[in-house]
Amino acid sequence: MSIQRSKVEVTINGKQIRVPSTLSVIQALWHAGYPRVQGVGCLEGVCGSCRVLVRRADVDGVSMEMGCQTLVEEGMEVMFLVFPSPSQHSYNLEQIPNSWEVQTEFHKVFPEAQQCRSCHGCTTVCPKDIDVEKGVELAVKGRFKEAGDLFIECIMCDLCMTGCPEQIAPNRVGLFARRVTAYFHSRPSNLINRLEKIRRGELAINKEGGES
Amino acid sequence: MNKTTPNGISYREALDNYQANRELPLPEPALENRQLLNHFHPDYIEESRATLQIGPNKGDPCHKQLAQLLQSDSRINEADLAGAATVKTDVLVIGGGGAGCAAALIAQQQGAKVILATKLRLGDSNTIMAEGGIQASINKGDSPQTHFDDTLKAGHHHSDPNLVAKLALDGPDVIRWLIQQGMQFDLDEFGDLLTRRAGGTSAERICFYRDYTGLEMMRVLREAVYNSGVEVWNYSPTVELLSDDMGGCSGAVLSSLKDRKYIQVSAKTVILATGGIGRMHLNTFPTSNHFGATGDGLVLAYRLGAALRDLDSFQYHPTGLAHPYHLAGTLITEGVRSNGTYLLNGKGERFTDELQARDIVAASIIRECQEGRGIVTEDHQAGVWLDTPGLELRHPGLLQQKFPKLMHLGKKTGTDLTQKPMLIYPTLHYQNGGVVINENGETSIPGLVCVGEVAGGIHGKNRLMGNALLEIISFGRRAGLVAAERRKNKRSSQLSIEHLNQLRRELTHSNLSLDCEGPLLFPEYAKFDLDSDYIGLHRNRRSHS
Repeated sequence: MSIQRSKVEVTINGKQIRVPSTLSVIQALWHAGYPRVQGVGCLEGVCGSCRVLVRRADVDGVSMEMGCQTLVEEGMEVMFLVFPSPSQHSYNLEQIPNSWEVQTEFHKVFPEAQQCRSCHGCTTVCPKDIDVEKGVELAVKGRFKEAGDLFIECIMCDLCMTGCPEQIAPNRVGLFARRVTAYFHSRPSNLINRLEKIRRGELAINKEGGES
Repeated sequence: MNKTTPNGISYREALDNYQANRELPLPEPALENRQLLNHFHPDYIEESRATLQIGPNKGDPCHKQLAQLLQSDSRINEADLAGAATVKTDVLVIGGGGAGCAAALIAQQQGAKVILATKLRLGDSNTIMAEGGIQASINKGDSPQTHFDDTLKAGHHHSDPNLVAKLALDGPDVIRWLIQQGMQFDLDEFGDLLTRRAGGTSAERICFYRDYTGLEMMRVLREAVYNSGVEVWNYSPTVELLSDDMGGCSGAVLSSLKDRKYIQVSAKTVILATGGIGRMHLNTFPTSNHFGATGDGLVLAYRLGAALRDLDSFQYHPTGLAHPYHLAGTLITEGVRSNGTYLLNGKGERFTDELQARDIVAASIIRECQEGRGIVTEDHQAGVWLDTPGLELRHPGLLQQKFPKLMHLGKKTGTDLTQKPMLIYPTLHYQNGGVVINENGETSIPGLVCVGEVAGGIHGKNRLMGNALLEIISFGRRAGLVAAERRKNKRSSQLSIEHLNQLRRELTHSNLSLDCEGPLLFPEYAKFDLDSDYIGLHRNRRSHS
């Protein structure tokens, strides 16, 4: 670790620090000796915990990013965002009587979804570049498989929820769409056949070792 | 971050030597597996081994860094508990990953009152990062027996066969349960589950969802928990277990990072689902683990008298990202190798069968680097190539279709993985051993149940890809069931930390320092113990010093 790395100056949560240019903004805080515990999670960009607001030196406007995935840059300003409380939408898959009722149930759980005013707030803010607004629109129309497929990479960071003036919780709309798709429509025959064989006791295990 | 001598071929030169390969023959192994492990696997580094001096595993070998924490003093004493509120529940689940969620959901569904307390946020876990998939023998040529045999063999026959038998037989029903929670799997055109092969197995047995299996699982389970009657306490690290007068576990002491106070929870059953130890950075390795993976559960359980096993065995996943630095340690799924991606050294040569068990592949990579055939970057990171361009050549389009997360990672590092290989080096990934459990996750301490990575016995000395996700759900459900049943039992409701007095006596008696405090809670570099925000949670200093 002897070689001299180039350094950059960044401002994180109001603290001006000078750090090696190879660090993420979380590593930069730690490197500079500032404690940071809350808002740190997987450190691989999939848990959605370390939400930061980033302003770059020569770029207009701000962007929402994941702190563990954001490399420090000269003149960058970073603010860690507090995580919002979970939204109040509540549902239980077992209480949806059958797949014909999913759409009705959806509108009961997410009544605000059809109020979407197409402001693009959710889509703009998404750090995973998901077309969030399109997903909400498709779910409102009952096209759940299509809607859910847009949310494959969603990390549930809730930034779209924060960005929605109608309090729609678009990521949870997307997750609802994904869950009903699996719950009502995944019936793999290879799995079902295997479960049946196990139920009939045809596949017991010999702990001394099998037919290798 | 690693100890490799930076002898090797420079990044630039290696890139010139590199070319995407259509086909390369399997190389002849130069060393026998046992020899390879002995010389190059980090578990066998002599200076890293210690012998435990106190507790149920006194006399057993253990990794030095882990031994230090297992033989550490508590973070609290009686004075810290003065005025702490007490909350009662049937079941206290500690840990917010897949195992904790599965246990909480099942216990609650069976009618128990459940509190799930987690150090960070619900879902901040290793589960969410699991990419490869989950094992379940569903194919015609496969069976639970073959799954059982493969698991035992990969673990070098150190596993508990009773646990492995349950695991293998549970597989298919675990997949069904996950689908019922709303989890998607990749299916073929007829709606059948697709499978791929894991290194070290004899059949295609991995069910998956792209390279997002853990993310898909975790977001579904988290949603299920939030929509259930389970009470979730985020940002509430557990600092100690509570004991009763019968040698049992009667609850836990939690700290709230929001209120900066201690709370006592009285529970009929405590389910520890705290995960692993990656953030202890054993042997100064980088890790693929999440921020909270600091081995807390092992320390808590050990103090209460629960025996541990295989404490000297850890998994270094062969393919961690070695460059760039800010993403070092990030995991690259074994799925990429399952699909036929080669590993190449700095000369552009294939040097191992990429689909052997993980310990063998990791040791082979370390050997290449130590013997000067690795690639070394300007900032002294050593590694070997993961030949994704070669895979693209043989199977055009497969990378984008099956590994969107990996392609996204490439983009972040400014690399088009269909054109340029990635530099990889083994990353500390998994704790193979843990607390000794029975088929329901019960430990030798009444009232204390352990599931998931904190528990030991299933993986022996080496874990197969896809068996961790299976274990957390299989044993998580078992633990939830047994905890729900036990809520009807009468038992002592005494809440005491008397076992800490015993611990301190033993530490003093063995001339061990009382200066190190455990559990670790957070990696040292996050400076939790210096953070003035949490001053109320730093221990009232004893007067002895």
